[in-house]
Amino acid sequence: MRLAFWLYEGTALHGISRITNSMKGVHTVYHAPQGDDYITATYSMLERTPDFPGLSISVVRGRDLAQGVSRLPGTLQQVAHHYSPDLTVIAPSCSTALLQEDLHQLAAHSGVPEEKLLVYALNPFRVSENEAADGLLVELVKRFAVAQEKTSRPSVNLLGFTSLGFHLRANLTSLRRMLQTLGVSVNVVAPWGAGIEDLRKLPAAWLNIAPYREIGATAASYLGETFGMPAIFEAPIGVEPTLAWLASVIEKINAVGAERGVPPVSMPKLNAFSLDGMSAPSGVPWFARTADMESFSNKRAFVFGDATHTVSIVKFLRDELGMQIIGAGTYMHRHADAVRKELEGYLPGELMVTDKFQDVSKVIEDEMPDLVCGTQMERHSCRKLDVPCMVICPPTHIENHLLGYYPFFGFDGADVIADRVYLSCKLGLEKHLIDFFGDAGLEYEDEASASEGAPHASNGHDNSGAPGSPVPSSPAHSAMDADGMSWTDEAENMLKKVPFFVRKKVRKNTENFARDQGESTVTADVFRQAKESLGG
Amino acid sequence: MMQVPGEFPIIKEDNVTHSFCGLACVGWMYQKIKDSFFLILGTHTCAHFLQNALGMMIFAKPRFGIALIEEGDLAKQEPTLEEIISEIKADHNPSVIFLLSSCTPEVMKVDFKGLAHHLSTPDVPVLFVPASGLVYNFTQAEDSVLHALVPFCPEAPAGSKNVVFLGSVNDSTADDLRAEAEALGIPVGGFLPESRFDRMPAIGPDTVLAPIQPYLSRVAVKLERERGARTLHSLFPFGPDGTRVFWEDLAKEFGISVDLRDREKAAWEKISKQTELLRAKKVFLTADTMMELPLARFLKSAGADVVECSSAYINKKFLGRELEALAGVRVVEQPNFHRQLEDVERIQPDLIVTSLMTANPFAGHGFVVKWSMEFMLMPIHSWSGVISLANLFVSPLQRRSKLPAFDKEVWLEGVMPSAE
Repeated sequence: MRLAFWLYEGTALHGISRITNSMKGVHTVYHAPQGDDYITATYSMLERTPDFPGLSISVVRGRDLAQGVSRLPGTLQQVAHHYSPDLTVIAPSCSTALLQEDLHQLAAHSGVPEEKLLVYALNPFRVSENEAADGLLVELVKRFAVAQEKTSRPSVNLLGFTSLGFHLRANLTSLRRMLQTLGVSVNVVAPWGAGIEDLRKLPAAWLNIAPYREIGATAASYLGETFGMPAIFEAPIGVEPTLAWLASVIEKINAVGAERGVPPVSMPKLNAFSLDGMSAPSGVPWFARTADMESFSNKRAFVFGDATHTVSIVKFLRDELGMQIIGAGTYMHRHADAVRKELEGYLPGELMVTDKFQDVSKVIEDEMPDLVCGTQMERHSCRKLDVPCMVICPPTHIENHLLGYYPFFGFDGADVIADRVYLSCKLGLEKHLIDFFGDAGLEYEDEASASEGAPHASNGHDNSGAPGSPVPSSPAHSAMDADGMSWTDEAENMLKKVPFFVRKKVRKNTENFARDQGESTVTADVFRQAKESLGG
Repeated sequence: MMQVPGEFPIIKEDNVTHSFCGLACVGWMYQKIKDSFFLILGTHTCAHFLQNALGMMIFAKPRFGIALIEEGDLAKQEPTLEEIISEIKADHNPSVIFLLSSCTPEVMKVDFKGLAHHLSTPDVPVLFVPASGLVYNFTQAEDSVLHALVPFCPEAPAGSKNVVFLGSVNDSTADDLRAEAEALGIPVGGFLPESRFDRMPAIGPDTVLAPIQPYLSRVAVKLERERGARTLHSLFPFGPDGTRVFWEDLAKEFGISVDLRDREKAAWEKISKQTELLRAKKVFLTADTMMELPLARFLKSAGADVVECSSAYINKKFLGRELEALAGVRVVEQPNFHRQLEDVERIQPDLIVTSLMTANPFAGHGFVVKWSMEFMLMPIHSWSGVISLANLFVSPLQRRSKLPAFDKEVWLEGVMPSAE
């Protein structure tokens, strides 16, 4: 038993719902207590789903347990009645897994035809989000994919794209654009937007593309073993990996094409991949050679994330931006060996493998890198330490689910990543300058005082050679304001109880109110009256 | 569906609903009681819930954490928490540790009371708080926290007549309530909970308990039984109507007769623009936070047409006055969400007050929505909360009317391919 505050990977149920919420006509029924419904909120809030996620809880209450009643058959009937899904996936939660019920039998009691149900009862104490998602996708592919004629023209499946995937939509767009430029069509994207019929026709594609080691790779392997389909597992992150990826797509498509007597696909001129079709497809190679980027040779980067992004970002930072890698790690224990192998020769020491964010935070604190590429958690750790950080993979936060086109894949993705590296580090540089000259800009001080209450760690840089930053004098409020409004201590104390981010506004409004009332002093009473009259 | 017998009819359904479990209360309780630590004995699921759904990230050292039950712990007779407790004490130096149950240890039949007793020291008590989602919804576990605090409220001697407000509100709201009571001549004993563990209020036979949150019936009953305290059964102090009745009734408990009708009238006038907008608007509350009844009652008083007021649990005695004020409104306990969905499509309400799980999907269906959780995070109590309360309902309506026309065929394409 250990004390946990925060976890990198979600639960098995979360992994399952990432697959099913991606799919058309598929519903999930959790045999679980009410609380597991929070998963629905991750989709409705982070992805801002404009429709109800296909997730229902078959609520388990203490009273039902005592009476030996299960609502599962009834819930399945309600779901069938209201939503008529093609398939309902039934999964236990951690607490109900301990009950050792026969979910198959309970499901059969519902009278819903067996072919419309899939019991996916894995051990939630052993299996986490990614493994559950990857496993469920394989189950679904096994159940529905059928041997068939290949498409007449070259086509691929894009596997592993799931709800709440990191920059999912933009990555898909980037891949689609490149494939379109090659003249290769997309047969099926799964699970994102796929229905059962789409799963059936997976084997019609010439090639599977499964760029995420965490989800989709196992399904691509299964399709390879069972239907002899070739696959590409590399993630096209960075310019060089994208060029290699394109070459691999062409080679594998042409191998299939040769057997079928279809004319080969050839590599177009690279400007065909640019957004306007007439420029370099990426700015990164030139950007890396420019004079102002020379300073990046001295920038020390630390990378921590899932398997796919940790590997790709380390390589990108070192190989394409010429930065120093001072360390890297992953929370994906399952893929640690693969990551180690991929990063052989890239790391000065051992790959860090942990699911404790405190350990990662400690390394960052000890090393004080110039750039951290991590998850949302590292961003928080770095904020406290004043270390620049960019988020490169899940777990994410609402601010990683943006509207714009910010892929990580392909040429477009290389530009996005390089921009983020640049912006993250540049801010750090400005801060260094301010610290160095001890002339802390007022804006910074405002920000610092705005975060009062939250511990604001001073940056840990060695400033011993430089004049120390002067201690910022807080914008002192004398008892008397500039325009003659004074505050009693009691009123001032009341104001302190107002959340800091609206405090200034409340002060101003209260003074205006007092003035209107002909008061010259804000007393506790005036403050209360103002609050009543102005609201909150 | 069944009718629950009683003076005011409630329809009871099968509780297929979207809401959080009791652990949600950690989100505000750890912030309220500033020298506390909230330790949840739970699983990966509990941790994932707290970090995701409540949007809680770790800013510094959070005063809550999960004693994580992993596979190897399942076979053990009883969980061993000594090391974790030492770690918490070393890092946080709390005055009290609340030990919250969750579903898995509940299924494992962990003896929480014994465990808490075993871990307690005279300096730092460890208090068992039943919070498992097998039994408790959302706000109900605050009731459990207050329950656990009762032994730490000193016994007030007979003859010490004052009011203790029941329910956690932020310090500034608490100050307002205290000042208002004092202005009416009502002696204030304090709040359960106060913001520090060692300052819990004295409660005795002459204490009047004034509940200010509508989901705290169990602790009120416990205090009546154990201390002989009286519970005020009034409206909850939300909106001009509820606030007037609340203070008048509370004053009456102290033999003070006050007439606050002018004050109520003035408060309504202050929100006349808002009530103008709410008049005859059809409002549907789907059940989430258990604040639904007083909110619906305010809406009704403000002239809105409450087409359904659903709540996960309705204590008919504790909410008796609210039910009475809601006469004629369709009130549902433990609603079925699938049925609600059909009713919403048929009735086409102008505003839906609903959970985080369902708000955006309803908006995608073209409805105007309000997150129910916001009512828990805004100062909406008493006179000073009137404008905030009214604005919470009005702002989504105003916002919708400001935005340009929306063709969902165009603007929702590709947003959620699974639903197309």
